[in-house]
Amino acid sequence: MSALKTHPKVYWIWNHRMWCLEHIPEGPGQDAETIFGWKQKAWDRELFVVEKMLDADPRNFLAWDYRRYVLASMPVPRPESAELVYTSRKIGANFSNFSAWHQRSKTLASLWGQGKLNEEKSREQEFELLRNAMYTDPNDQSVWMYHRWLVGTDGSKELLNREIAAIQELLDEQPDSKWCLESIVHYKRLLLKNWVSGAEAGPLISDVKSLLHRLEQLDPARRRRYRDLAHELDDDGTRSKQ
Amino acid sequence: MDPSSSTSTTTSTSANTGAGTDKLLVEQHVAYIQKLGENKDDLTYHLTAHLRLNAVYWGFTALSILGRPDALDREEMIGFVMNCWDEEAGAFGAHPGHDAHLLSTLSAIQILVMQDAMERVDVERVVNFILSLQHPSGTFTGDRFGEQDTRFLYCAVNALSLLGRLDALDEGVLGEGVLGEEGVVDEEGVVDGEEEEKGKGRGEGREKGREKGKGKEKVVEYLQRCRNYDGGFGRKVGAESHSAQVFVCVAALAILDRLDVVDVDTLAFWLAERQLPNGGLNGRPEKLEDVCYSFWVLSALSILNKLSWIDEDKLTGFILSAQNAESGGIADRPGDMVDVFHTHFGIAGLSILGYPGLVDLDPVYCMPAHVIERRGLRKGWKALERRVG
Repeated sequence: MSALKTHPKVYWIWNHRMWCLEHIPEGPGQDAETIFGWKQKAWDRELFVVEKMLDADPRNFLAWDYRRYVLASMPVPRPESAELVYTSRKIGANFSNFSAWHQRSKTLASLWGQGKLNEEKSREQEFELLRNAMYTDPNDQSVWMYHRWLVGTDGSKELLNREIAAIQELLDEQPDSKWCLESIVHYKRLLLKNWVSGAEAGPLISDVKSLLHRLEQLDPARRRRYRDLAHELDDDGTRSKQ
Repeated sequence: MDPSSSTSTTTSTSANTGAGTDKLLVEQHVAYIQKLGENKDDLTYHLTAHLRLNAVYWGFTALSILGRPDALDREEMIGFVMNCWDEEAGAFGAHPGHDAHLLSTLSAIQILVMQDAMERVDVERVVNFILSLQHPSGTFTGDRFGEQDTRFLYCAVNALSLLGRLDALDEGVLGEGVLGEEGVVDEEGVVDGEEEEKGKGRGEGREKGREKGKGKEKVVEYLQRCRNYDGGFGRKVGAESHSAQVFVCVAALAILDRLDVVDVDTLAFWLAERQLPNGGLNGRPEKLEDVCYSFWVLSALSILNKLSWIDEDKLTGFILSAQNAESGGIADRPGDMVDVFHTHFGIAGLSILGYPGLVDLDPVYCMPAHVIERRGLRKGWKALERRVG
């Protein structure tokens, strides 16, 4: 343990703990419950230790990987929904903890996939959580990346329009917010790709192009990406006219 | 250089910003790398023994990119590499007497290829060692005790390719004798929900072996499962995207001619967002910049042909500002201690950025481009045009 405290990022220390954990002897009792309980106690303690590590360094990805491994291998598995509580505690402590957002996206996808959680309702709760985070720090990219995951690449036209309007509201308050502009561009491009064509597309395209132009000025390091995206719109426009 | 200045690189954090660091200090870096092997009484030398062969690869590649491959003695280097051979395992350890490992085996092969000394290697034994570390899911462990990590997958694919034996993945020959009772752990995150292999401990799973003719496909499938919605890749299924893992996964896919697996626009967007206002690159969202990411992010952008999505002048300035003008060498960021790892990745990054006077670096193999071209292994990456100094 002291080795891990001094060198929390040394791969083989984590790996050695894993080996020890897998070689815990069975308990001294005769009945299954005692034997099992003995092992489970060791795994519980391990989860406690790795969570202490994550309290000290919330972004240590080796610790996150190890924690996922402990959760997946425990003799008595925890309900996956406990991960929602854990990640919201980590996110609540610091919205910039992308590792926690990442874990949350994996947990929700799994729960939805297995039908253990009402997807529609829980998605809306996530949007609520994000709204809060966006207003707290509109420059935090973890929040925007998670938002992108939540909307997905096949969101409905209504959802895209609703989210664009919500971000626009924040942009009106923070006119220089790069991430508001970047996200509106992203969702408007999705509208163009999946939902809007013909005469309706024209105004949307020029709108996106002017947003990209503003991004070029606000974020010159990535100016050529914004130009590439604008050219792509030109190309698409030419193609649809042909 | 007087001997005291090399100790200062390991004991002090003397400021290395300011005058003299707006140009690449070629002579100082050559001298710094030459000095590295000399201070064998230094405690740090022994503490880093487990990375010795990697360090030789870093130092030698950096010198080759600086156009000074002869600055270290060829025979001595080849002799050291061959002393790291683990006869029992049939591959290379990090240091004479150490057990064989994939990381050091790749470094050994890279050094021997660069030194044009491949006739010294028992290719088939090394191939068998590498294959013995492939897990049925497609990924690799670093040694017979190790855990799975896409870094090791890259080491395996890169090494097999350099050995001209990439097809061995599909031959269905299981390596002999490397894995004992302790096999390979299955440790995938259950939260991913894709693969339920709970309760399976070490030792199990190996006997399944690699399906004949499916080795490459399995590798690609595994990489696909490591891909996250942000376009990036992690160490294993379920893990967070990380620039270093993005490099290893994208480069492995490039070697396997399977870049179709990459969501180029999403990943290149994520990679471009690694650049911070000071020009440096970080490894993940909301983290600090570090010179080593200059290579990891740049190599991936170069393989995806999207280098123009970051600001090369600001990044060049950042790498140069992390040089130590007194001792030579490059640190993780300005003002910190230099080391050979960051020196190598800083110079590698500058080469991709077209810095004047440097030799072209192949971002897929992280070796001089002419070495890879000579072996007919060059892929379709694009670096920035070399500027005239």
